[in-house]
Amino acid sequence: MLILAIETSCDDTCAAVLDGPRVLANVISSQAAAHEGFGGVVPEVASRHHLELAAPVVEAALAEACVSLDEVEAVAVTAGPGLIGALLVGVSTAKAIAAPRRLPLVPVDHLQGHVAANFLEPEPLEPPFLCLVASGGHTLLAAVRDHRGHEVLGQTLDDAAGEGFDKAARMLGLGYPGGPALERLAASGDPEAFGLPVAMSRDPGLDFSFSGLKTALVYRCRELGEEGVRERGADLAASFQAAVVGQLVAKLERALERGEWDAVALGGGVAANGPLRDAVATLCERRNIRLKLVARELCTDNAAMIGSAARFAEPLSYPEYLSYDAFASGQTAEPTADGPKTGDIDPFSARRPVV
Amino acid sequence: MLHESLLGLSVEGKPRHATVLLEGVERAVAAAGGWDEVGLIAVGLGPGSFTGVRIGIATARGLAASTGLPVAGVCTLDAIGRALREGDGGGTDCLAVLDARRGEVFAALYSGATAERLWAPLVSSPADLVERVAELPRPPRAAGSGALRFRQELTRRGVEIPPDDADPLHRVAARHICALAAAEKAEEAGPPAPIYLRPPDAVRWHERDTFPTAE
Ligand SMILES: [Zn+2]
Repeated sequence: MLILAIETSCDDTCAAVLDGPRVLANVISSQAAAHEGFGGVVPEVASRHHLELAAPVVEAALAEACVSLDEVEAVAVTAGPGLIGALLVGVSTAKAIAAPRRLPLVPVDHLQGHVAANFLEPEPLEPPFLCLVASGGHTLLAAVRDHRGHEVLGQTLDDAAGEGFDKAARMLGLGYPGGPALERLAASGDPEAFGLPVAMSRDPGLDFSFSGLKTALVYRCRELGEEGVRERGADLAASFQAAVVGQLVAKLERALERGEWDAVALGGGVAANGPLRDAVATLCERRNIRLKLVARELCTDNAAMIGSAARFAEPLSYPEYLSYDAFASGQTAEPTADGPKTGDIDPFSARRPVV
Repeated sequence: MLHESLLGLSVEGKPRHATVLLEGVERAVAAAGGWDEVGLIAVGLGPGSFTGVRIGIATARGLAASTGLPVAGVCTLDAIGRALREGDGGGTDCLAVLDARRGEVFAALYSGATAERLWAPLVSSPADLVERVAELPRPPRAAGSGALRFRQELTRRGVEIPPDDADPLHRVAARHICALAAAEKAEEAGPPAPIYLRPPDAVRWHERDTFPTAE
């Protein structure tokens, strides 16, 4: 079945065309440059860019796949969670493309999208497996027992892992997005120089927490002063990265101890982090577990993963989706306390509400 | 390419337009005899609620991509101005005023004689608008959600406003969006772009260097 998929939940405008598990086109238009000056995603800025880019990105995906809309059999779209204004651009676009052609619309859960990236060719991974999704907007351990959904075994209680990277990068004077910049700097640093705490290591559950780690980094930076931070930036970055990776891997291992898992998959932007990939690979080798690492462009937000999830999701037929609405995530639907009451933006979006 | 078959999408106000807009479009198209009878998609570009404007334009562009029809954008203030002028033979100038919230208004002024735009769409405080109006040689007629909200201030300056708040003149009508789009024909200049008139708040804070940072 030929599926056209659209994803606009955060700051990347994405469209893809799939033929079953085969990706014919996967177009990603990143807005990172537009948000760089703010050190994080600004929802209103993201929505404005999505509107400009959505239609051209869809066209580009169809052209790249050498497919005309006449051949498309279903339109899939991220329905949430995410930034509501950003999601609405994608959902409105998808509905409007589907309706005149009476095509079915398949609303997709963004997180299931990250899980479903593993169902794509080459070498699709068959459930059951354990999936660690870590990005700027979410950090969770998902038990994947079939193609249709997942069970959340644990998730972050505060910041997402990628959000931690972004904030740490800002403290160290690095650009946005912070993850890749921090990883590059950390490569020349000593991960044990500062011994930052691996949070939640004594917590028996499978939840994550990264805000304490961020606070610890704030204190180290204060002690060192501006000059000291510049001098020891690489050591700070390496220590921070080691603490984040340490926690992610510790929780993954705990989850493996509790279940009968013989395959592990990584998803989300943080899954592109080299030291994390290495640490997980070592863990899987030690426990004799198969590790699936999808290509980088399928880890970060993309529409191919949304199309993949759509293959196993419930489609809405015309006209029942005409009134379909996007859903934000619980925490991000409303601006936070100090935000403007009128709510066209969220000044704390540096918290990267959702990826 | 019948005038009646033009499809007008105008959005104003609440984001929940996502749930009603496309249904309305499909109903209008069905009434016109199906998509084959439609020759042009017209859409209101704002100014208005950021999210509402985006839902309208994203929908219009999606429909255009799906059907291959051209799409033309129309300023929502123009639609109010046109409606107001249509109802008056006297040649009085027409002021379209929309409530921009946060104590501001969007406004534009049109010649009653020629329909030409005398003021480009602007965003201002109601006080500044009243001042501008006071400088006009003759007080205009006004309509729109902003004219209702600041009725007292405007009428004190001699501005004439349709007395009934429920008067359709105060609402952006898809019919006028269509008529304007048909008269101007589809814009050659490229895809319809929203008229925001205001930068995102974050940009304003950033420029003032008071952007709140996380911790
Ligand atoms: Zn994501």
